[in-house]
Amino acid sequence: MGAKENIQGTIDGHDVVLFMKGTKMMPQCGFSSRVAGVLNFMGVEYQDVNVLADPEIRQGIKDFSDWPTIPQLYVKGEFVGGCDIVTEMTLSGELDQLFESKGVTYNKDAAEKIREANA
Amino acid sequence: MSVTQEIETRLRDAFAPRELEVVDDSARHRGHAGYREGGESHFNVTIRAPAFEGMSRIARHRAVHSALGRDLVGRIHALALTIEA
Repeated sequence: MGAKENIQGTIDGHDVVLFMKGTKMMPQCGFSSRVAGVLNFMGVEYQDVNVLADPEIRQGIKDFSDWPTIPQLYVKGEFVGGCDIVTEMTLSGELDQLFESKGVTYNKDAAEKIREANA
Repeated sequence: MSVTQEIETRLRDAFAPRELEVVDDSARHRGHAGYREGGESHFNVTIRAPAFEGMSRIARHRAVHSALGRDLVGRIHALALTIEA
Protein backbone atom coordinates (compact mmCIF):
# COMPACT_ATOMS: atom_id res chain seq x y z
CA MET A 1 0.00 0.00 0.00
CA GLY A 2 1.38 3.40 -0.98
CA ALA A 3 1.57 6.43 1.27
CA LYS A 4 -1.41 8.08 -0.43
CA GLU A 5 -3.71 5.08 0.11
CA ASN A 6 -2.44 4.76 3.67
CA ILE A 7 -3.22 8.43 4.39
CA GLN A 8 -6.63 8.22 2.71
CA GLY A 9 -7.45 5.14 4.80
CA THR A 10 -6.55 6.93 8.03
CA ILE A 11 -8.60 9.99 7.13
CA ASP A 12 -11.57 7.87 6.09
CA GLY A 13 -11.35 5.80 9.25
CA HIS A 14 -11.42 8.65 11.78
CA ASP A 15 -13.55 11.77 12.13
CA VAL A 16 -10.60 13.87 13.27
CA VAL A 17 -6.98 13.20 12.30
CA LEU A 18 -3.89 15.22 13.17
CA PHE A 19 -0.71 14.56 11.22
CA MET A 20 1.99 15.83 13.53
CA LYS A 21 5.60 15.62 14.63
CA GLY A 22 5.54 13.41 17.69
CA THR A 23 2.41 12.09 19.36
CA LYS A 24 -0.53 13.77 21.06
CA MET A 25 0.98 12.82 24.41
CA MET A 26 4.52 13.76 23.43
CA PRO A 27 4.69 16.32 20.62
CA GLN A 28 8.15 16.94 19.13
CA CYS A 29 7.57 20.40 17.66
CA GLY A 30 6.02 23.60 18.97
CA PHE A 31 3.53 23.93 16.13
CA SER A 32 2.32 20.34 16.45
CA SER A 33 2.22 20.77 20.20
CA ARG A 34 -0.04 23.80 19.93
CA VAL A 35 -2.64 22.08 17.74
CA ALA A 36 -2.58 18.85 19.77
CA GLY A 37 -2.87 20.97 22.92
CA VAL A 38 -6.01 22.69 21.62
CA LEU A 39 -7.65 19.38 20.65
CA ASN A 40 -6.64 17.74 23.95
CA PHE A 41 -7.94 20.67 25.98
CA MET A 42 -11.20 20.76 24.01
CA GLY A 43 -11.65 17.04 24.67
CA VAL A 44 -11.80 16.15 20.99
CA GLU A 45 -11.36 12.50 20.15
CA TYR A 46 -8.79 12.28 17.37
CA GLN A 47 -6.26 10.04 15.73
CA ASP A 48 -2.69 11.32 15.88
CA VAL A 49 -0.23 10.27 13.18
CA ASN A 50 3.44 10.78 14.00
CA VAL A 51 5.09 11.68 10.69
CA LEU A 52 8.55 11.40 12.25
CA ALA A 53 7.95 7.65 12.56
CA ASP A 54 7.49 7.21 8.80
CA PRO A 55 9.41 9.18 6.13
CA GLU A 56 6.90 8.11 3.45
CA ILE A 57 4.01 9.60 5.40
CA ARG A 58 6.06 12.68 6.26
CA GLN A 59 6.52 13.51 2.57
CA GLY A 60 3.27 11.84 1.51
CA ILE A 61 1.02 14.06 3.61
CA LYS A 62 2.58 17.17 2.04
CA ASP A 63 1.88 15.83 -1.44
CA PHE A 64 -1.59 14.60 -0.43
CA SER A 65 -2.83 18.05 0.55
CA ASP A 66 -0.39 20.11 -1.54
CA TRP A 67 0.55 21.79 1.73
CA PRO A 68 4.22 22.14 2.64
CA THR A 69 4.07 22.09 6.44
CA ILE A 70 3.14 19.90 9.39
CA PRO A 71 0.92 19.74 11.48
CA GLN A 72 -2.13 19.17 9.30
CA LEU A 73 -5.64 18.77 10.69
CA TYR A 74 -8.39 16.83 8.91
CA VAL A 75 -12.04 16.74 9.97
CA LYS A 76 -14.41 14.28 8.30
CA GLY A 77 -12.02 13.85 5.40
CA GLU A 78 -11.58 17.57 4.83
CA PHE A 79 -8.28 19.39 5.22
CA VAL A 80 -8.77 22.21 7.73
CA GLY A 81 -5.27 23.71 7.88
CA GLY A 82 -2.06 23.90 9.84
CA CYS A 83 -1.08 25.54 13.10
CA ASP A 84 -1.75 29.17 12.07
CA ILE A 85 -5.20 28.41 10.66
CA VAL A 86 -6.28 26.15 13.53
CA THR A 87 -5.12 28.77 16.04
CA GLU A 88 -7.04 31.55 14.27
CA MET A 89 -10.15 29.38 13.97
CA THR A 90 -9.97 28.43 17.65
CA LEU A 91 -9.83 32.06 18.73
CA SER A 92 -12.54 33.21 16.32
CA GLY A 93 -14.94 30.38 17.20
CA GLU A 94 -14.87 29.02 13.65
CA LEU A 95 -13.41 25.73 14.90
CA ASP A 96 -16.44 25.31 17.20
CA GLN A 97 -18.71 25.92 14.22
CA LEU A 98 -16.80 23.42 12.12
CA PHE A 99 -17.04 20.71 14.81
CA GLU A 100 -20.75 21.42 15.27
CA SER A 101 -21.51 21.30 11.55
CA LYS A 102 -19.57 18.03 11.19
CA GLY A 103 -21.06 16.43 14.31
CA VAL A 104 -17.74 16.23 16.19
CA THR A 105 -18.07 16.23 19.98
CA TYR A 106 -16.03 18.84 21.85
CA ASN A 107 -16.11 20.77 25.10
CA LYS A 108 -17.51 24.24 24.44
CA ASP A 109 -16.54 25.50 27.91
CA ALA A 110 -12.93 24.53 27.25
CA ALA A 111 -13.00 26.39 23.92
CA GLU A 112 -14.34 29.49 25.71
CA LYS A 113 -11.57 29.19 28.29
CA ILE A 114 -8.95 29.22 25.53
CA ARG A 115 -10.54 32.36 24.08
CA GLU A 116 -10.75 34.07 27.47
CA ALA A 117 -7.10 33.30 28.15
CA ASN A 118 -6.08 34.79 24.80
CA ALA A 119 -8.45 37.77 24.74
CA MET B 1 20.34 37.97 -0.78
CA SER B 2 19.35 36.77 2.69
CA VAL B 3 16.34 34.49 3.08
CA THR B 4 14.52 37.33 4.82
CA GLN B 5 15.07 39.59 1.83
CA GLU B 6 14.12 36.82 -0.56
CA ILE B 7 10.80 36.29 1.24
CA GLU B 8 10.12 40.03 1.30
CA THR B 9 10.91 40.49 -2.37
CA ARG B 10 8.74 37.60 -3.54
CA LEU B 11 5.76 38.65 -1.41
CA ARG B 12 6.02 42.31 -2.47
CA ASP B 13 6.17 41.32 -6.12
CA ALA B 14 3.22 38.95 -5.84
CA PHE B 15 0.80 40.88 -3.62
CA ALA B 16 1.83 44.57 -3.43
CA PRO B 17 1.04 44.43 0.31
CA ARG B 18 -0.11 47.40 2.41
CA GLU B 19 1.87 45.93 5.25
CA LEU B 20 4.61 43.33 5.28
CA GLU B 21 6.75 42.19 8.15
CA VAL B 22 9.21 39.31 7.89
CA VAL B 23 10.85 38.37 11.18
CA ASP B 24 13.66 35.84 11.40
CA ASP B 25 12.62 34.11 14.58
CA SER B 26 15.35 31.46 14.40
CA ALA B 27 17.23 32.50 17.54
CA ARG B 28 14.18 31.75 19.67
CA HIS B 29 14.34 28.17 18.41
CA ARG B 30 18.00 27.61 19.27
CA GLY B 31 18.49 23.98 20.16
CA HIS B 32 15.14 22.93 18.70
CA ALA B 33 14.69 20.71 15.67
CA GLY B 34 15.50 22.49 12.44
CA TYR B 35 17.66 25.19 14.04
CA ARG B 36 20.82 26.04 12.15
CA GLU B 37 23.66 28.26 13.25
CA GLY B 38 23.29 31.62 11.54
CA GLY B 39 19.50 31.56 11.67
CA GLU B 40 17.30 31.86 8.59
CA SER B 41 15.37 28.73 9.50
CA HIS B 42 12.29 30.01 11.37
CA PHE B 43 10.23 32.95 10.12
CA ASN B 44 7.14 34.84 11.23
CA VAL B 45 5.48 36.66 8.37
CA THR B 46 2.65 39.17 8.68
CA ILE B 47 1.16 40.37 5.43
CA ARG B 48 -1.83 42.58 4.65
CA ALA B 49 -2.84 42.94 1.02
CA PRO B 50 -6.10 43.64 -0.81
CA ALA B 51 -5.26 40.67 -3.05
CA PHE B 52 -6.40 38.34 -0.24
CA GLU B 53 -9.91 39.80 -0.17
CA GLY B 54 -12.57 37.12 -0.52
CA MET B 55 -10.14 34.23 -0.19
CA SER B 56 -10.53 31.46 2.39
CA ARG B 57 -7.81 30.94 4.97
CA ILE B 58 -6.48 27.94 3.13
CA ALA B 59 -6.50 29.80 -0.20
CA ARG B 60 -4.55 32.69 1.35
CA HIS B 61 -1.90 30.36 2.70
CA ARG B 62 -1.70 28.50 -0.59
CA ALA B 63 -1.24 31.80 -2.44
CA VAL B 64 1.67 32.73 -0.15
CA HIS B 65 3.25 29.27 -0.44
CA SER B 66 2.95 29.53 -4.21
CA ALA B 67 4.48 33.03 -4.35
CA LEU B 68 7.43 31.90 -2.26
CA GLY B 69 7.91 28.82 -4.40
CA ARG B 70 8.55 25.22 -3.53
CA ASP B 71 12.31 25.63 -3.31
CA LEU B 72 12.27 28.53 -0.84
CA VAL B 73 9.52 26.96 1.29
CA GLY B 74 11.56 23.75 1.33
CA ARG B 75 14.60 25.58 2.68
CA ILE B 76 12.69 27.16 5.57
CA HIS B 77 12.14 24.91 8.56
CA ALA B 78 9.20 26.82 9.99
CA LEU B 79 6.98 29.53 8.57
CA ALA B 80 4.29 31.12 10.71
CA LEU B 81 1.88 33.19 8.61
CA THR B 82 -0.60 35.89 9.56
CA ILE B 83 -2.45 36.90 6.41
CA GLU B 84 -5.10 39.62 6.19
CA ALA B 85 -6.86 41.38 3.37
